[in-house]
Amino acid sequence: MNTLPARLAAQVRAAPDRPALAAEQRSLDRAGLWREIAAMAARLGEAGVAPGDRVGVRLANGIDAVVAWYGTWLAGAVVVPLNAQAAARDLVTWLAHSGARVVVGRGDDAAIAAALPALPAPVPMLEPAGPVPEGACPVVEPRAGAADLAAILYTSGTTGAPKGVALSHGNLDHNTAAIIGYLGLGADDRGVTVLPFWYAYGASVLNCHLAAGAFLAIETNSQYPHLVVQALERHRATGFSGVPSTFALLLEHGRLDQADLSALRYLTQAGGAMAPALTRRLRAALPRARLFIMYGQTEASARLTFLDPDRVDRKPGAVGGPVAGVELAIRHADGSIAAPGEEGEVWARGGNIMAGYWQAPEATAQALRDGWLRTGDLGRIDEEGDLWLAGRRSDLIKTGAHRVHPLDVEQVIAELPGVREVAVCGVDDALLGQAVAALVVADRAQVPGEMAVKAHCRAHLPTYKIPRLVRFVDALPRTASGKIRRADLATELS
Amino acid sequence: MDRLRQIKQFVLGNFLFSEDESALADDTSLVRGGLVDSTGILELIMFLESSLGIKVPPEDMTPDNFDTVLAIDDYVGRRLATA
Repeated sequence: MNTLPARLAAQVRAAPDRPALAAEQRSLDRAGLWREIAAMAARLGEAGVAPGDRVGVRLANGIDAVVAWYGTWLAGAVVVPLNAQAAARDLVTWLAHSGARVVVGRGDDAAIAAALPALPAPVPMLEPAGPVPEGACPVVEPRAGAADLAAILYTSGTTGAPKGVALSHGNLDHNTAAIIGYLGLGADDRGVTVLPFWYAYGASVLNCHLAAGAFLAIETNSQYPHLVVQALERHRATGFSGVPSTFALLLEHGRLDQADLSALRYLTQAGGAMAPALTRRLRAALPRARLFIMYGQTEASARLTFLDPDRVDRKPGAVGGPVAGVELAIRHADGSIAAPGEEGEVWARGGNIMAGYWQAPEATAQALRDGWLRTGDLGRIDEEGDLWLAGRRSDLIKTGAHRVHPLDVEQVIAELPGVREVAVCGVDDALLGQAVAALVVADRAQVPGEMAVKAHCRAHLPTYKIPRLVRFVDALPRTASGKIRRADLATELS
Repeated sequence: MDRLRQIKQFVLGNFLFSEDESALADDTSLVRGGLVDSTGILELIMFLESSLGIKVPPEDMTPDNFDTVLAIDDYVGRRLATA
């Protein structure tokens, strides 16, 4: 079994002069990237980071973030990627829960500056050092093994019960090899990425390119579709990955018809179901690019299934069969196997499945059963072995490239004076898939108002978690036993 | 109301959820500061097109034109001058 840092080391040794990364005004060949990684590993060591220690990485997408990830791995430590949009309260939760030894971040980052003093023990911050002078830099063999922990990806900031997906080097390597295999990714590929590295999808795009020896341009102007299309053209990109809203924005505002994207041989889509109409528009706009529709979870390193591009037009809505090394099963609520074609919960097992949630044995026991991951997603497998998803059992909101746990938002809104009760859910949104919405029961004497609710969220939550819709209601829908009927929340808002 | 104030009040009301003009400097980066995301940019453009009578072609959607209230006002001024 290999590891991602070992795969990168092998690529550096094989062809040190080949271009590896570009972002904004900088670009690095493989040897230059390795020099920066080695320097970061050395600095982490000087800061007291030992193998197995956790290192928080609070950096927006860019070369510095890549250097922080791989530098941490070269030091034998564990990457804890911190959402660059997260507010101080989430950062405090994640850093404290992971027991981070050091944070790599920027001195002008107000949220991290507010978070660090609130931690139970002091956590020093290292700033990215930037370019390293040219010179010989031996490519030492990374010491981490397949069983060692590589990363903890937090999927929720909920106070008291943060969920950090703990992935080993073996997990990441297993999934990376599978993805490289079906995409046919090689050293001649050139990718452009807009997906955040702190999510499993964005991390997998980065890691696959480095492991395959491919070039990756990190486009930091993802808010501006036309600039993304220009980057695809400028870099003669062979591949591009997005969530449904990425493609909707490119189709609507990217002027795809005016760009020369003849080098683009494949596209990947994950991060929630893409409407068949959007898929058709994308296929029509870029007919020569093979479109891989994919499904996965952070708990599975990234990827569980992909749909053969040759079936995309024939099977709109399907997410395909398992990636190499993954086994899927559809099961009833009691764990028994469903009949062929029958709908049930999607279970998965394979080398990419997490070891568990970091220091959360109860949550781990709920998600992992006898070596299988319970995905919480509902679906059926057809006669060709392709999976069709039919909704989620959990209440996770998928908005754009983000996942939002309702409780994270509810906790914040509940703190606002005048709020008696609150429930948060996702409502259909043409661009984002789902938008965050809040139902609020206010004190009659002190109704806070929609602006006040949103302003309070603005102060404590990243932009994508702020409810776009706030509705004041007399009562929340409840079951006879008093539990909130989450399935009915969206109906209340329509 | 002058144009810059009109733009600023839209940004304040829709992204900061505030009427306090001191909460946002005219040269604060809207995207890098995390105030406006990709859908926010689109909302902003819809507002400019519907309220200020300009048309924003996709190639004009750049940080130079949209990253601060000052830049937006400047851009709108240029569009109106060439209309």
